Amino acid sequence: MAVSWQRRLAARAPAAVFLVEGARIGPVRETLALSPGIRLVDTPRHASVLVVAGDVPTGWRDDLRRIHDQLPAPFVSVWCCCESFEALCNPIRNDAVEALPQGVVETHRELMLGKRDSAPRLLPDEPPNSWEGLGDDGHGGEGMMGGTPYGRPMAMNMQDDLRDGLTLDTLTFRLGPFHSALPPGLQAEVSLQGDLVQTWTVTRKPFASVVEPIFHAARQEPVPIVEIELARARHHLRRLYRGLWIAGWPRLAERTLRMAGQLSPNSDIAGLRYTLERGGLWRLALPEPGRGALDEAQARQLGGPAARAAGIDDDLRSQDAHYRRLGFAPTCREAGDTAARWQQWLDEIEQSLVLAGQAARHDLKTAEADAVETPRGPWADAFPHDMSDLLGEVLPGLEWSEALLTLASLDVAALDLHPLGETRLPGPGHAGQKGHA
Amino acid sequence: MILDQLILPWLLAWLMAGLGAYLVAVLDRLMASGSAQVGSVWLAPLASAAWLMTQQATTTEAPDAPAWRLAPALYLALAAIGLALVPWSPTLVGVDLSTSLVLWGSLEALATVVIFLHGWSANSHLALIGAYRYVALGLSYLLISMFVLIGVALPAESLRLTEVVAAQASLWHVVSQPLGLPLFLVVGLGLTFWGPLNLADSADLSGGTAVERSGPPRLVWALARAAMLVAFSAIAATAFLGGWMGPWLPGPAWLLIKSLAVLVVLLWLGRRLPRLAPERCLTLMWVVLLPLSFVDLIWAGAVALWMA
Repeated sequence: MAVSWQRRLAARAPAAVFLVEGARIGPVRETLALSPGIRLVDTPRHASVLVVAGDVPTGWRDDLRRIHDQLPAPFVSVWCCCESFEALCNPIRNDAVEALPQGVVETHRELMLGKRDSAPRLLPDEPPNSWEGLGDDGHGGEGMMGGTPYGRPMAMNMQDDLRDGLTLDTLTFRLGPFHSALPPGLQAEVSLQGDLVQTWTVTRKPFASVVEPIFHAARQEPVPIVEIELARARHHLRRLYRGLWIAGWPRLAERTLRMAGQLSPNSDIAGLRYTLERGGLWRLALPEPGRGALDEAQARQLGGPAARAAGIDDDLRSQDAHYRRLGFAPTCREAGDTAARWQQWLDEIEQSLVLAGQAARHDLKTAEADAVETPRGPWADAFPHDMSDLLGEVLPGLEWSEALLTLASLDVAALDLHPLGETRLPGPGHAGQKGHA
Repeated sequence: MILDQLILPWLLAWLMAGLGAYLVAVLDRLMASGSAQVGSVWLAPLASAAWLMTQQATTTEAPDAPAWRLAPALYLALAAIGLALVPWSPTLVGVDLSTSLVLWGSLEALATVVIFLHGWSANSHLALIGAYRYVALGLSYLLISMFVLIGVALPAESLRLTEVVAAQASLWHVVSQPLGLPLFLVVGLGLTFWGPLNLADSADLSGGTAVERSGPPRLVWALARAAMLVAFSAIAATAFLGGWMGPWLPGPAWLLIKSLAVLVVLLWLGRRLPRLAPERCLTLMWVVLLPLSFVDLIWAGAVALWMA
């Protein structure tokens, strides 16, 4: 069949990718975001390629099916380090993260040129629940708004407003577990009045987060400080990338990500800090001072940069003789709010780069091998465990944009205790499981 | 008569809407140089459009069907009407109404309705939040727009855009009313929910009012936003930069150059600034920019009296 000019032209468009991040996967989002010919999108409706990267456990597979079927035809799914659905004939599997972007671009091109069929739908095209409303439009019943159309409550005035007393109808919905602004795996039931978060209940905990292998190695033997500090700076830059994306600054987000990929002991982020300040990130885009603040107990439980942003100067590097030799002292802020945590990222990136530069000159390794300060928090006898329930205490009362920027500033997933590439045994650090504090 | 009053405005409006939307896409890509893009900047917008044309137009569970279908087309129609009002020269005007400034103001108000419909009709929570946000923002920037536009009408003693241009023969309004254009640019970012004022279709809402859109309707929505940006740029060039006036080149060429300059500034702002937090945005509008628009109006009145 001859390919129309329209499809030939469409094949030259970037591949619009919706990424589902599973458990135990490296920086796939970051790899795809910097790949020419790929455009990451925030909703499956805007995509032609679904990339599923990392293990999606059984309890999350039904949600994945629903995501899969939301992509408009023609579409395909590409599976990376994840088993595809049996119903998909000839699924595209690509386990090499480095080769994934090229594979996605090629697949999209073949799809547009008609060399590859669109993926089949996995679910029947019908509402997940039956109609239970009263009347043609669900009206009638209680007041003017009765019924539960398609199994979901209609917006009803059920809760007092948290902001100014102006009570609006409460809208309740589920978000996640693969929403691009949430940690992978996290699902929450959210109630809003207008755009103000009334309640935030975590219904499924996020997958454990992965840190670079150097942090795992540091638990076994001394490792070069230059490498571990660059890995720390890279981690924070990647989190900053995600935050900036949500803050509606995609150009700077991409620049931040590029910087993360090119870090060296001579790098500095003065230009990035200047752009953030001149652009008015703190004055205009982030929540106002005091919003999204953690109290001392919450900050201490969360640990890591979030605790230091609240003035708690806990940092395992202080106990390492070689770090002390470099003059290390924890960098802290006092406010403990959302803006302070964003500032804390920048402070810690700058500090890590300075430490990396000094350590490179002295060729220093860590002195302690049984405790390491990961970018997520301290890992000694205890390790950073899942703190997603904290969101139910911090996010209510925030307006939607503030809530998502606050969420971006909090690393609430447990730390995965096994380095990537290692077969993981059942135990602490799994999605949804709590470690010890 | 048919040529002047029917075919000419129609041609001018749709030609500018189509070419302008393409130009917006090209300029935006040029400004994103260095990012992860491939291919020619000239071909990329056409490729993206062709890709959307091949896509299925999905729908949601129980949308408000007429509004869901019509909203993108209505927004595009508003942009086209705006473009039809632009005077390219003293004689080349699509629709030369004696109340063209009022009609432009009504387009801004109707845009609020259409954008709300776009989000509300989807029957989807994130789209709905985008719609509500836009309405909350819309009122504040509409008031600013009203005061600023009255300011440019005062020296002309007319609400006709051609006379607003003629009144700038001695001095452009960008000079005689220095607050006017910066305030009007804020209105433009709000009207087209672009860059820092993109609260309706923002990333924190996964695309906001357009979160459920795919295929040709999404293409129409994107076209409409770009065309509205072009229409706004042309109106801003007309109201503040002397419209068709300028030496050596013909009037339409001057208007094109000036509109392009406004467009580039808007696109540049869109890339240089983060999205404003909704609450801070409203505070900025009501507490800072709205009083400034009063000052602009008083200033415009005083200057008009002094120059009369």
